[in-house]
Order: sequence, then structure tokens, then C-alpha cells
Amino acid sequence: MKIGTVLRPVLVLLLLALVLRPQWFAPLFAPLAPSGGPVIYERASLLSLSLSHLALVAAASAAATVVAVTLAILVTRPAGAAFRPLSRTITNMGQTFPPVAVLALAVPALGFGAGPTLVALFLYGLLPIFENAVTGLTTLPPATMEAARGIGLNRWQRLWRVELPLALPVTLTGIRLSVVIALGTATIGSTVAARTLGEVIIAGLLTNNTAFVLQGGLAVGLFAVLIYDAMVQIERRLAKRMGG
Amino acid sequence: MIEIDSITKTYGPTKAVDAVSMTVETGTITVIVGTSGSGKTTLLRMINRLEEPTSGEVRINGESTLSVKPHILRRRIGYAIQGHGLFPHHTVARNIGAVPQLLNWPKDKISARVDQLLELFSMDPAEFRDRYPAELSGGQQQRVGVARALASRPDLLLMDEPFGALDPIIRTRAQEDLRHIQQRLGSTIMLVTHDMEEAIRLGDRVAVMDGGKLVQYASPAEIIARPATDFVADMVGDVERPLRLLSLIPLSDIVEEGPAEGAPLSADASLREALSACLWSGRSAVPIERDGTPLGRVTFEAIRARAEMQA
Amino acid sequence: MKSTGAAISAPGLLFAVAGVAALLTPFMTLAANRIVAGEGVLAWNIAGPAAVTPGLIAVLGGLGLGLLQRPASLRLGGAVLGLGGLLWLLTQGASCLLAETGEYARVSPAVGFWVLLVVLMLLMADALTAMAPKPLMRGAILVAVLGALAIILGSGALSDLSVMQEYAGRSDAFAREAVRHLGLAFGSLAAAVVIGFPLGVVAHCRAALRSATLPVLSFLQTIPSLAMFGLMIPILGWVGATVPGARALGIAGIGFAPAFTALVLYSLLPVVGNTVAGLAAAPPAALEAARGMGMTPGQRLLRVELPLGLPIILTGLRIVLVQNIGLAVIAGLIGGGGFGTFVFQGLNQTATDLILLGALPTVVLALTAAIVMDILVDLTRRLPEDAT
Repeated sequence: MKIGTVLRPVLVLLLLALVLRPQWFAPLFAPLAPSGGPVIYERASLLSLSLSHLALVAAASAAATVVAVTLAILVTRPAGAAFRPLSRTITNMGQTFPPVAVLALAVPALGFGAGPTLVALFLYGLLPIFENAVTGLTTLPPATMEAARGIGLNRWQRLWRVELPLALPVTLTGIRLSVVIALGTATIGSTVAARTLGEVIIAGLLTNNTAFVLQGGLAVGLFAVLIYDAMVQIERRLAKRMGG
Repeated sequence: MIEIDSITKTYGPTKAVDAVSMTVETGTITVIVGTSGSGKTTLLRMINRLEEPTSGEVRINGESTLSVKPHILRRRIGYAIQGHGLFPHHTVARNIGAVPQLLNWPKDKISARVDQLLELFSMDPAEFRDRYPAELSGGQQQRVGVARALASRPDLLLMDEPFGALDPIIRTRAQEDLRHIQQRLGSTIMLVTHDMEEAIRLGDRVAVMDGGKLVQYASPAEIIARPATDFVADMVGDVERPLRLLSLIPLSDIVEEGPAEGAPLSADASLREALSACLWSGRSAVPIERDGTPLGRVTFEAIRARAEMQA
Repeated sequence: MKSTGAAISAPGLLFAVAGVAALLTPFMTLAANRIVAGEGVLAWNIAGPAAVTPGLIAVLGGLGLGLLQRPASLRLGGAVLGLGGLLWLLTQGASCLLAETGEYARVSPAVGFWVLLVVLMLLMADALTAMAPKPLMRGAILVAVLGALAIILGSGALSDLSVMQEYAGRSDAFAREAVRHLGLAFGSLAAAVVIGFPLGVVAHCRAALRSATLPVLSFLQTIPSLAMFGLMIPILGWVGATVPGARALGIAGIGFAPAFTALVLYSLLPVVGNTVAGLAAAPPAALEAARGMGMTPGQRLLRVELPLGLPIILTGLRIVLVQNIGLAVIAGLIGGGGFGTFVFQGLNQTATDLILLGALPTVVLALTAAIVMDILVDLTRRLPEDAT
């Protein structure tokens, strides 16, 4: 905990500096760049790449959350129960699909650019959220559910006021997993011409410029770690509030 | 003979067990009873060195338990705990044979011993040998747990709240079975419980622990009739003392010639049961029999006289 | 609740609707060469009526059988029938469409085929889930499915398809990259087990080590894969250049070594974490009893903690294996080889079939690994099923 409180602001400042003022780091990266080659990636600003990267992840994750939670609600209602074994199989098997393969397979259908990346992130992001939301909705404390019925809440009220709030921490864990995977997979999206921080890394790989690899890697890595950490904090807060 | 010689266990500033000395005769059941935090479980666990004593020692048949490695010592001492602690991934037979296997008994000897113990606990070996613990009822699991503790014919059997997880009816039955098996095998048993009723029913001797100290070590009758401290008296429960006393005395002690009406009682039943029968059915005497043959009767007056004599 | 609805399987209805809709989209694509976009051909136009009709009937019949609520075996039969029809249509269409066109023309399955394939596979999975086969039976089914796939591919029935033509031109490279891919995935798994398992056992015994290791490993896990692969390049390049003898062992900044190292680092968290969780899963009462009966710490580990934790430990290995099969694709980007080589070549050349040549085997490999590991996990749960 103590380490976290010191480390967190340091990492945030480091990330901001790296994204907003990459030139500051030029002396640091210089030894890693090929002699005479560029040290700092300048074909696009790290800021715009970061924003585009995050926007892609946010859009895909938001869509995945809405769809996955809706599906989870449907299969946990009595009418959707017939689909539950099937949905479990799809989640189990779907998660074995490599994210890169999903991305690559989306290209033939959607062409290059942000499109296939968005679709791949969305499809792949569905699974952990759906799985966790179903777990959350099916492992509610029976006494609480009984009480909710007992005080006369109808089905909708039970869903909105009891089931969804109680399933929220577990669902959030699924969203966190999904977001972290999406952050990483979006990087690979640059191989299909999506504008993300992966562009910097790939440029580095293609020109043997370790300085580029490090800039891109560091920026994505810091985003991933900080977002992961922030979501863990939110989950902890929620769990504490619910006495879990 | 087990000699516990001023054994002490301290955790930081607190003395969990404070200079306890007692001697346990071979072939008897000794029940250590106390509230939680009284040090009774720590005392028991120091005997097989699951806890190392801070000072003092335990001798089994004259030999100090400190003279052997702890795990070797434990293989000679049976140990049964609350919630049975069976290995969920092993069959009943493998569970019971666990200690003999550690002692490298030959296979056929182990399986013969397993069958023998299952029969002793009225469980058909053919039916139960290959079952897994999860396929047994709570009472059966508990019996397998005790059978496992007895498997290597240990010098001593330690039991830590062995019946704690059982419901009342099964618990009474399990206590009777234990008594019965102990008498057949002549085992030496030390048992920890928080339940004075259980202590009085099972113990040849009862040791009452309070705040790490042994406050009284005596026969059940002595504990009830002459509690050494207020704490012991509390544990026994003043109101119930006469009834507890009567529960220790078999009807065969005061059976007399003469007729009596109504359903007969067994000569092995206690005076408490006879008293209950008298009060419930409004009789002044109950007929007594042994294995179906009438022995005589026990009268209400005789029960009262006997109760007064004890007090 | 609904008396009439009881005989119809709700998922089956979904499959049938999706399947019929898929039939209305292009089933195959015909392109003038391997780069240009082709034009879609509907299922009943890919060949003459005599060739197409049996296939269409089989597909529709399969979907129809899937509508039944039970028996599950009949639904499974429906899935097999439908897949057979799909295969029939594909082979008929490929040869027939190619017969009418130029030398460089390519035919490939189009969206209709893929959707039908997925729908029928899901029908199969749904039926199998209902049948709940025992672990060994599942293994037999897997072998049968893979065997059928091998026979179909080996028979040359599909060799007219574009993706198979890509393969035909690269069969040597394909074999080489397949071995490389397996080497990366299984090799990194083995290395992670050799390092991670002892680490997990020690961490199980030492709380201080446990609280120090696990956060570091979860941190490693959050680093995006491309960044991790990229970062390994300078590090291993430096090792290769400075540590004597390292270069002779093949340690260098590009190729196999950085990919392998990155995969091992990713694998450590599931291996160590699940080993710790598995060893901690033994019931406390059983451990107390084990100690009380005189088992040494080593005996407790081997006889109680390890067997009881094995399913959880193996689950960790399943995660690692499936994850590494997928991540190994990225090795193709840094010259590490594997199926990723085809994927990224295909992306560079915008050659869809080359992408498929890399992606499809990866998916099949990952699915197979997942199923095999699931079977192993079930086999190690030695508790009888009705007991849990």
C-alpha cells in the first residue's frame, strides 16, 4: 500500500511527461537509437497516438460491456436459461481464440484501419465481461434475493436495485481484464494500420530503432499498469462498501 | 501410562498452559474439559508435539516424548479431530491405512487391518472400502476418522472435539460406540471437549482446565459431588448436579427383588433414566431386566436414597 | 411453461435462423488473382443443381435436426450431417468455379460459409454439452474430429481452395513454422514450469516470498505483448553481445530468443499463482490430520497438498498453453518465426488467404490445447463427480 501511494503519482507524472514532452527523454533514449537515426518518434505526436489508442479501447470496451451485460442478464432470466450451457461453451472456447488471430481474421472482412481493430477488441472483450457478469448474477446471496422478493420488489426492481448492484464488483473485474487485453491487442492493431501507440513500436522494430520500441512500449505499459491499478482501486472501494 | 510433568506453553506474555501435571493410566479414557481459551487443546497438542512445550515434558511409558523426532512420535499416537480431517482424494481404505503406510507395513497387513477396523465400526468393508469421504454421511466420516487414528494400534489416542461436528442424536451414538470400542481394545484415550455432559458420560477421569491451569482432575462422580472451584461447579451446573450424578450410576447397583408394572429398563441404564421413567409414567417402581430376563425392580425411594447418600 | 415450445430447442431455433440467413449471403468468392477482391457467389450458384442440391439438403437437414429439444445424439448427428453438406458444397464449388476461369483465379470460402461453419460447430458443441461425455470419451471425440480434418485436408478435396494453394506453395515453410510455433508455445511452457513450479512451492511455504513475487508477476502480465516482445529485443541483444558464450547459445536481439523469453515471462504468473492457489486448496482439517499422524512436510506436500492442488495447477498450465499459442503469433513480427510469419506477411501483402494460412492453424491448435488440458484437469479431479 505504502509503495503504491508513492509510486502511483510518480508513474502518472512519468507517463504525462513521456506523452506530452517526449523531447525531454531524448538524452535517455539516444544511446539506443541507431547512430545518426532519429531518437524521438516524430511522424505523429505521442499524444495524438495515445488519445486514438485510448479512444479505440474505450469505444470497444464500452460497447462490449453493454452487449455482454445485456446478454448476461438475458441468459440468467428463466426464459434465457436454455442458452446458458451454450453461452458457457462459447465463452470457454472463444477465449482460446488468440487476440491476434481475431484481429487478423477481421481484416479480410473489414479491410485495414481502425475498423477491424475495433471489431476484434469488441468481440474479444465480450467474453471476460460476459463470463464475470453471469458469475455475478448467478452467485447472489440467496437470503438477499429471498428478502428482495419478500419486501415486494418486482422482477425489474430486483434486477435494477439488487441483482445488478450486487453483481457489479465481479462484473468490474471482467471489464478490467477486458480493458487490459484490449490495451495490448490495440497495440497490434497498428499492424493493420490502426492509429495506436503500437505504431511507434512497429516503426522501431522495422528500422531496428530500440529507442522507438522503448518509447512506445513504455507509454503503453504505463497506460496498462495505471488503468489496471485504477480499476483495482475502484473494485476495492465497491467491495468494501458492500462489506465484501 | 502417560505422565505429564509440569508442562507449560507461553505465547509472548500469556501462558496458554500453565505448569500442568497429570498422570493417565493405560486403558482409560481421560477427558479434558474447559471453555474456549482454557488451554485444553494446546495441552492435547503438546502431547504429540504439534505444539512444542515451552517447558516441562511428557513421558509415555516412561520414555520422554522429546527423545524422538516429532513426526516419528506422532506415528505412534493416534489423532482424531473435529470435522474428521479425512483426505478427500483418498478412498476410505487409503485413509484408514495412512499411518500403517507411513510405518511401511506390508500391503496385505494394511488391508487386513482396514477391514478389521471397518467391521469394528459396523461398516461393511466390501461396501465402504473404496468409497471417497464425500460419499459418506457425517457419522460415517467421523467413524472413519477415528478408525484411521486407531489403525496402527497406537499407544495413545488423542481426540480433539471429535464429535463437535455431529448433530445431537448421531453424537450420542458415536459416544457410545467409542466407549464400546475403547473397552474392547483397551485403548488409552485423551479427549478434549467443551461439553461437560460429554466429559461425564465418557471419562474415567475428567480434567477441568481454566485459564491455562488444571483446576481439578478427578473421577466424574468426584467432579460432580465435590467441584474444586466455582468454575468447575459452574461447568457442572448446580441445578443439574443430582441428575448428572444419577446418570453415572447403573441400575444394577440398586436393583432389588420385587414386582413392578410397566415397560422394563435394561440393567445397564442409569438411575437418571429410571427416575425419568418413574416421573413420566407416574410409577413408584420400574422393572429391570438384563438381555430379556427379569432381574427385579428399582424403586423411586431407592433412587432418592442413593442421591442423598452421594450428596 | 410453454407446452408447444417444449419440443423445440431455443438455441436450435437461433442456429436455424442464423444458418438460413447465412445461406442468403455469398457462400464463396471468386477472384481473378490472389490480391484483388473477388466477387461473392451464392450457395446455389457455385455449381450445377445436381451438385449443389445434396449439399443444401444436408445443411438444411442438419439445421432442422438441431431444432429438436432431444435426443442430443440426434442433434449431434444433425451437426455432423450439416458439416458434411458444407464440405460437399465447398469441394463442388471450388472445382466448378475454377473450371470456368483463368489460370490465376482463386476461390475461397466467403462469409456465408464461415457463418454456417460456426453455427454448425456451435450446434455440435451444444449437443455435446447436453450429452456430458466423460473425459476419455471427450478425448476420443477430439481425436475423431482431428482425424476427420486430417483426412479431408490430406485427401486433396480442398486443394482447389485459395488457402490450400497458398499452402501448396509453402508446404516446407509451413512445416518449419509449425515446428517453430509449437517450439515457442511448448518450450516456453516447459521453461515456465521449470522456473515457476519450484518458485510456487517455495512461495507456498514462505509468505514473505509470496507477497513479493505475485505482484511483480501480475505487473509483468499487464505489459502489452507487443511492447514486451519489443523490449526483449534490446535486452537480449545486449546479453548476446556482452555475456560470453551467450551468442553461441543462439541468444540474440532478434529471432527466437526474445520471443521465447517474452512468452516465459508471461507464463510465470499463471504457473506460480496457480501453484500457490492449488497448494493452499487442501482443507485445513486434512492438513492438521496429516501433521498429527506424523507426516513430514515433504510427505504432506507430495501426498496431500500436491494431489489435491493438481487440478488448479493444471488449470494454470492450460491458461499458459492457450495464451502462449496465441501470443506466439506476435513472434512473427520480430522474426521469431511461427504461424505469425504468415499472418504478418499476409497483412503486408494484403493477401487474405495467407493470413488465413497463419491464423486458422493457430486457432485449431489453441482449441485443441484447451480441450486436451480440460480433459487432463478433469482426470485429475479424482473425486467422483456426484460427490462434489
